Amino acid sequence: MLWNNIIVALRNLRKNKAFAAINISGLAIGLTIYVFGGLLVEYENTHDRSFANVDRIYTIGGTAAPDLNVGVDKFNSTFMAVAPLIKAELTDIDAVARTRNNEYLLTMGPDSFYEGVRFADPELLTIFDFIYLHGDSTALDDPTGLLITETTAIKYFGRTDVIGEVVTFDNEFDFSITAVIEDPPLNSHFNSLIIADQGFGVVAPFRALNTLRDYDADVGDWNNLSLGDMTYVMLPESLDQAWLQTQANRIFDTLVPEDEGEALASFDVHPLSYANVAIWDMIGMPVISTIALLSMLVLLVACVNYTNLATAQSLGRTREVGMRKTMGATQTQLLTQFLVESLVIAAIAMVFAIAILEIIIPLFNNAANKNLTLDYVATMPWLLLTTALVGLFAGVYPAWLITKTNPIEALRDIARKGKKGSLVRSFMIGAQFAISAFMLAMVTIVFLQNEKVKEASYIFPRSEIYTLDRLNVEGISDRLETLRHELEALPNVDTVAYSSQVPYEQNNSQNSLTPVPGDEAANIIFMNMRMSPEFLDAYDIPLLEGRNLSRDITNDVRAEETESLNILINEMSAAKMGFDKPIDALNQRLYSTSEEATVREYVIVGVVPTQNIVGFFNEEKPWIFQYSPTSLRIGSVRITGGNMMDSVESIEDVWDRVIPDYPMQGSFLDETFDGVYNVLKYMNLALGIFAFVAMSLALIGLFGLAAFMATQRTKEIGVRKVLGASATQIARLLVWQFSTPVLWALLVALPGAYFATQGYLNFFADRIESPIPILIISGLLAVMLAWLTIAGHAIRIARSNPILALRYE
Amino acid sequence: MLKLHNMYKVYSTDEVETVALNGVNLEIEQGDFVAIMGPSGCGKSTLLNIVGMLDNASEGDYFFFDENIAGYSESQRSEIRKQNVGFIFQNFNLIEELSVAENIELALLYHDMPSAERKKRVANVMDRMGIAHRAKHMPGQLSGGQQQRVAVARAVVGDQPLILADEPTGNLDSVHGQEVMELLRSLNKEGTTIVMVTHSPAHADYAHRTVNLFDGHIVTENTRAA
Repeated sequence: MLWNNIIVALRNLRKNKAFAAINISGLAIGLTIYVFGGLLVEYENTHDRSFANVDRIYTIGGTAAPDLNVGVDKFNSTFMAVAPLIKAELTDIDAVARTRNNEYLLTMGPDSFYEGVRFADPELLTIFDFIYLHGDSTALDDPTGLLITETTAIKYFGRTDVIGEVVTFDNEFDFSITAVIEDPPLNSHFNSLIIADQGFGVVAPFRALNTLRDYDADVGDWNNLSLGDMTYVMLPESLDQAWLQTQANRIFDTLVPEDEGEALASFDVHPLSYANVAIWDMIGMPVISTIALLSMLVLLVACVNYTNLATAQSLGRTREVGMRKTMGATQTQLLTQFLVESLVIAAIAMVFAIAILEIIIPLFNNAANKNLTLDYVATMPWLLLTTALVGLFAGVYPAWLITKTNPIEALRDIARKGKKGSLVRSFMIGAQFAISAFMLAMVTIVFLQNEKVKEASYIFPRSEIYTLDRLNVEGISDRLETLRHELEALPNVDTVAYSSQVPYEQNNSQNSLTPVPGDEAANIIFMNMRMSPEFLDAYDIPLLEGRNLSRDITNDVRAEETESLNILINEMSAAKMGFDKPIDALNQRLYSTSEEATVREYVIVGVVPTQNIVGFFNEEKPWIFQYSPTSLRIGSVRITGGNMMDSVESIEDVWDRVIPDYPMQGSFLDETFDGVYNVLKYMNLALGIFAFVAMSLALIGLFGLAAFMATQRTKEIGVRKVLGASATQIARLLVWQFSTPVLWALLVALPGAYFATQGYLNFFADRIESPIPILIISGLLAVMLAWLTIAGHAIRIARSNPILALRYE
Repeated sequence: MLKLHNMYKVYSTDEVETVALNGVNLEIEQGDFVAIMGPSGCGKSTLLNIVGMLDNASEGDYFFFDENIAGYSESQRSEIRKQNVGFIFQNFNLIEELSVAENIELALLYHDMPSAERKKRVANVMDRMGIAHRAKHMPGQLSGGQQQRVAVARAVVGDQPLILADEPTGNLDSVHGQEVMELLRSLNKEGTTIVMVTHSPAHADYAHRTVNLFDGHIVTENTRAA
């Protein structure tokens, strides 16, 4: 019986090749998207499985304090002072280790490169069982030891047997290579922290910071919460995450000094697998779960598509069903037959989907630097289950509908053609279009918001700025003024400024100051920019009131002994201080309540407009601007006119002349902007692909259904034409048949898209105007696409000879 | 073999009530060949559907092999029908996607019968009907007469004691129609009971008895000499 059912299924496909192609291709596309999405989600959620202790390793992060206002709600890192507390307090754990990232100029042999260095406690090599090519897990016990990866070894030395080779940090501090490991796999969180450049090529002992930075590694610090500064805890088998969370809560409540760690509301314990996806939680964008949801929606559209078409097609098989019932088939046997047919189609579609994935996955891996695989052994149960569920889910309604046919009506062929199940069919068309129009509307709004972000970024002349990074090295900082003068002498170089950060960088350096001396309760959190006086000119920032800072005025320049410092503020800062007009803030003061602060008093000498310096999804914030010559990390060279690349070459020449002992780290500010903007752009690209596929499926289904229903109405159309209906009237009749569910779909989809996009738009300080016109246009576009799809068929049918239609009947 | 006693069949819609069978009493013995005739709309097909257990009467008794099956559910009727009744239709009702052999085998698929046994029976009946050489052909490749032979083969392959034929020659020319009637006669001679609806007096003459219906009543019954 089963074999007979399969044969009938295959022959039916052969008999109706066009509809078979539509059905199978629709399901294949849906399955491709669903399986790909599933593989990607699984990949992102199961990083680090190659490490033996993965199920016992946890990370310590935190929840941001409510008034922190740095654009993120969660951190996947914590202060470097936490690990020593954990080590002292929790004697039951197996190990705890910190990592912290800093960039240094590394000299290996004749070459020097800026390289991200990961400083780690030696216990890191106990927690993670790296594969050693040379050396072993004691590599970080020596405070001058270095562990490097295979790629780093080959990059610098051309070989991996480099134990004992010397690496100099910042032309001053010598380290010796004590181990070389295989590169961590691509699906490891060491390779996947996307915002900052967090490579894992060079690992130094944490204790080395004592020498490099005058740091106390045994105590750590409560000052910095940087992305990628991790704290790992490995538990014995007998303890679990809940236990660790309880201990972390206790430590937070009882051992964190009261005036430290104000940035956090709590410590959060996560399994290691979370580290890879933490970034999305931090910025509040549920990217991974969105991918999972969209994949399912696309598959749902594909299934609804199939169900609709199969329901319509099944009307042509009522006579067969009637015959089978006459010969004694029960409804269960007939249901089984039609479900088998549906499963056969699903299986064929899955085979096509797998073939497509075998092409797509390598392309994706190459583009996204990932290592997604389709492991048939591991995924076969899931693929089979998906095939079965899709076949059953998509096929159950048409199977039920056709098998409840009355055999008498079926054999006399007096079943009401086209009418059976038409309400459900209309509902399904509506559901497909609702999902597709929803996605289309969202894509449009997200695209326009991204364009708004790009447009808003042009408050700064980013296409004219060339930045020079890593200037806050002792060997460079005393030559910055010489460098500035030499650069400003170049043709086409307008201005050279130095600062602690540039626009669009996701840095959040803050300062807590009060307008009332000694009153901590009146503290206001300001964003803190350290800049040279040229910064305002370089970035076209106007002065609203007062004057700019000057290196010729003593109190404008922050030095070691400065107790009172002149600063600029922005308008928002003035408002926070209670001044209605910026001019009222001039000569007012802010005070530090921190006992460790060297500068006790800040005097406001100028006010600039409120601008979104960090940009993107950050809100506008109150800023203070101070001139601190020793804290200037990055230079901004404003180039106007001439050829940009020629100017860059000239800048390189000047650099080589003034600072020959350090390599220049130059880049266009546009690249800094693109580094973050591309995340938004690629997210929308992914959403666009989903929307395109969903809409294509809906239109393919509509096309097939229109063709089939037109066939069902051949006699009616013939009769109408004989009675005098024009081709236009016939076409309109057919088009309108499908328009009603499409229009109803928009009534559901567009409000849904409105509410969904509000969540996305709320991320941004600069938002597009009301999205309602955009939603309406998206809806009209969806309707136009539907009409175009149906119109072709409708016109062809409407023009056919009525006699042929009636003779056919 | 079967006995209808005081049978009524009423079709009701919101506005109209149609009495298709109006107190019909009919007895058919095993081995009978009965023709049912009457004008369009007189209830012939309704009578055949009830005899064939495709439908239930609104009122009355139906004894089939002494079992009163009036009021049985669809699944109960289906089980009895499967074992006892074969059907032949005016428009053949062959399944386009199945070959001749597969169409015939379809009648056995819903029985608990091993595949080898099914195939053997199908081969035998195709030989009997003279269509063995067309076993692998699809219905669309056959003439009307050949298709009806296949339908007859399908109706008899299960050795059901009762064959119901609803205008079996209605779509055939006279030559092929006669061929089909000869087939039915020979089946009847072998012991199969046949009840046939027909418009053709010539074809009705093949039957032992003709029942004439009018407006849901049996108005006359004519028995032919053997």
